[in-house]
Amino acid sequence: MNLLAARGSLRIRLLAGTLFWIAASIAIAAWGLGSLFREHVATQFNGELRTHLDQLTAHLAVDGQGHPTLAVPLSDPRLRLPYSGLYWQIDELGEGSAKAGVAAGAERAKQVAAGSLRSRSLWDSVLDVPPDAPADGEIHRHRVAGPADSMLGMVERVVRIDDPAAGLPRSFRLIVAADERLMVEPVARFDGALWLALGVLAAGLVVAALVQVSVGLAPLRKLHGALGRVRNGDAQTLVGKFPAEVMPLVDEFNSVLTQNAEVVERARTHAGNLAHALKTPLSVLANAATGKDDELARLVVTQVDTAKRQVDYHLARAQAAAAMRVPGARTTVRPVLEGLLRTMRRIHAGRQLELVLQPIAGDPAFRGEENDLQEMLGNLLDNACKWARSRVEVDARLEQGSLLIRVDDDGQGIAAADRDAVLRRGVRADQQVPGTGLGLSIADDLAQLYGGELALADSPLAGLRVVLRLPAAGSAVGG
Amino acid sequence: MRILVVEDEPLLQTQLADALRSAGYAVDTAGNGVDAHHLGDSGSHDAVVLDLGLPQIDGITVLRKWRAAGRDMPVLILTARDGWHEKVSGIDAGADDYLTKPFHMEELLARLRALIRRAGGHASAELLCGPLTLDTRNGRATVNGQALALTSHEYRVLAYLMHHREQVISRSDLVEHIYAQDFDRDSNTVEVFIARLRKKLPPGLIETVRGLGYRLTAPR
Repeated sequence: MNLLAARGSLRIRLLAGTLFWIAASIAIAAWGLGSLFREHVATQFNGELRTHLDQLTAHLAVDGQGHPTLAVPLSDPRLRLPYSGLYWQIDELGEGSAKAGVAAGAERAKQVAAGSLRSRSLWDSVLDVPPDAPADGEIHRHRVAGPADSMLGMVERVVRIDDPAAGLPRSFRLIVAADERLMVEPVARFDGALWLALGVLAAGLVVAALVQVSVGLAPLRKLHGALGRVRNGDAQTLVGKFPAEVMPLVDEFNSVLTQNAEVVERARTHAGNLAHALKTPLSVLANAATGKDDELARLVVTQVDTAKRQVDYHLARAQAAAAMRVPGARTTVRPVLEGLLRTMRRIHAGRQLELVLQPIAGDPAFRGEENDLQEMLGNLLDNACKWARSRVEVDARLEQGSLLIRVDDDGQGIAAADRDAVLRRGVRADQQVPGTGLGLSIADDLAQLYGGELALADSPLAGLRVVLRLPAAGSAVGG
Repeated sequence: MRILVVEDEPLLQTQLADALRSAGYAVDTAGNGVDAHHLGDSGSHDAVVLDLGLPQIDGITVLRKWRAAGRDMPVLILTARDGWHEKVSGIDAGADDYLTKPFHMEELLARLRALIRRAGGHASAELLCGPLTLDTRNGRATVNGQALALTSHEYRVLAYLMHHREQVISRSDLVEHIYAQDFDRDSNTVEVFIARLRKKLPPGLIETVRGLGYRLTAPR
């Protein structure tokens, strides 16, 4: 996973963050619990040594022959088991040592009779303890090498006992030692159990984090789907219930969509107003020039015609271009066709035309603005009515995801060679021959802006067949 | 034939009115929606030329009001907005035809003639009544091919009677349809026009229906 992808994906960011904190928490917990336990075990280890040392101190006595002896054997069975890891040893310190007081320990150490009394567990070895002579009541702690390459933790204290036989107080150095392995083994066992427990916990947290990220990001996937429907023209706004954190985003986006539609509508209105403002003076000019037969009048008439064509053409283009930016537009075909046919029947009432709308299967819809569909179909129908002898037929249906509208007339048709010229593909409006209708080429332009196409063919009615193919809108009804 | 011209641009209104008058129509004009509604509601116009972008009340609303009140004179909409959306809503509001600006005056006159003719149930531009023929395209009346010389008022009376031939037309109807609103009307002048026409036409073509009015009828 490279850094860019990590920065780019919300899922990876959330997961990486969560996983980092899980790992950090687990590590801290492991270290904390481990050291707590180690401390506890060490305390227990030392406490045990102290207990044994106290027992040793309590039971130490000197028998009639002047030998140190234990009045009662120490209870722990490990002390009788050879090399069990728990040992004690009593060294007798030389005479006068007590009087030497704080004199150098090294000197006194020479006077030691090491191992004058030892636990059975030491068997025939003697603890080799560093020379030391704790003062009265002091307990000293050391690490020493023990039998069988072990390291021992040991405590020692010096006790003075009055020997009634000798009449002199005698000093004994009491030592209790234990193999450090007795401390290490429980720690190792604990560490094993601890890591296992923490591992299971971490795994659980990771699974929980994955589930949480997936559930938490689900609204974003839903938002993506809703946006897709808007883009496809199946909906005009984002529809659906979203969590409170996403809902403001959805509302904002919907208001942007609405505002966008309003802006387009305003632009359309402005364009219409401009056309209106221009065309009335043009009418006045044209009428003033009509009927007069001089150079200026003829110039005015032709230029007014050109100006009108330009205004019509660019108005249509501007409206279509504006329409393309409204996402989610959806227009049902049937009412548009019915309205236009009503209009055609009225406008061409004098010609006794038979206008037939073939039955429409289902309810096909155009993915685009109603105005533009009206503009395209209006021009096609008007053209057909102008050229038809007696009959115009209209048919609309869905075919392979496209909307297909056919307009047939029984007029004289257009020769195959002239069809491209009629649509004036690639010819700009101001280069067109004056006096010819713009209807078909405006419809063609609009269809192409929507990614559709206009095709001319021979009609079974003997005249022209115009086939308009446009993007269809899905069956889902938008808001 | 009396026409109502509704147009808010004064220059264009004058041009329209002049052209229509010289084509033999009596013309009333209105420059805003309120006046237009009021004038059209009188029911004495044979056709209306209606601009859609009007001050006060827009043209579509005026048209809807007329139609709701049962006024069925033909209406030709005149507008700069030439989208099919506007055309459909205009036709659905009750208009009979549609012309976009800028337009050719001849086309407007032709459309208007056709509308008036259709409203009277006539299929052809030439109206026939026995030996009498009226060509609405050029305003020529002939009897057996012989052109008649008519004054503009005589023409209006004859044209109205031709459009409503075989119907009894009251004198007040005639007055309503041959004079513009602001004209000083005198129903006696109608009798004068009828008398002059009778002299120019073959006898028996214009009957007087006593107490009711006049009827143009082909001799049997």
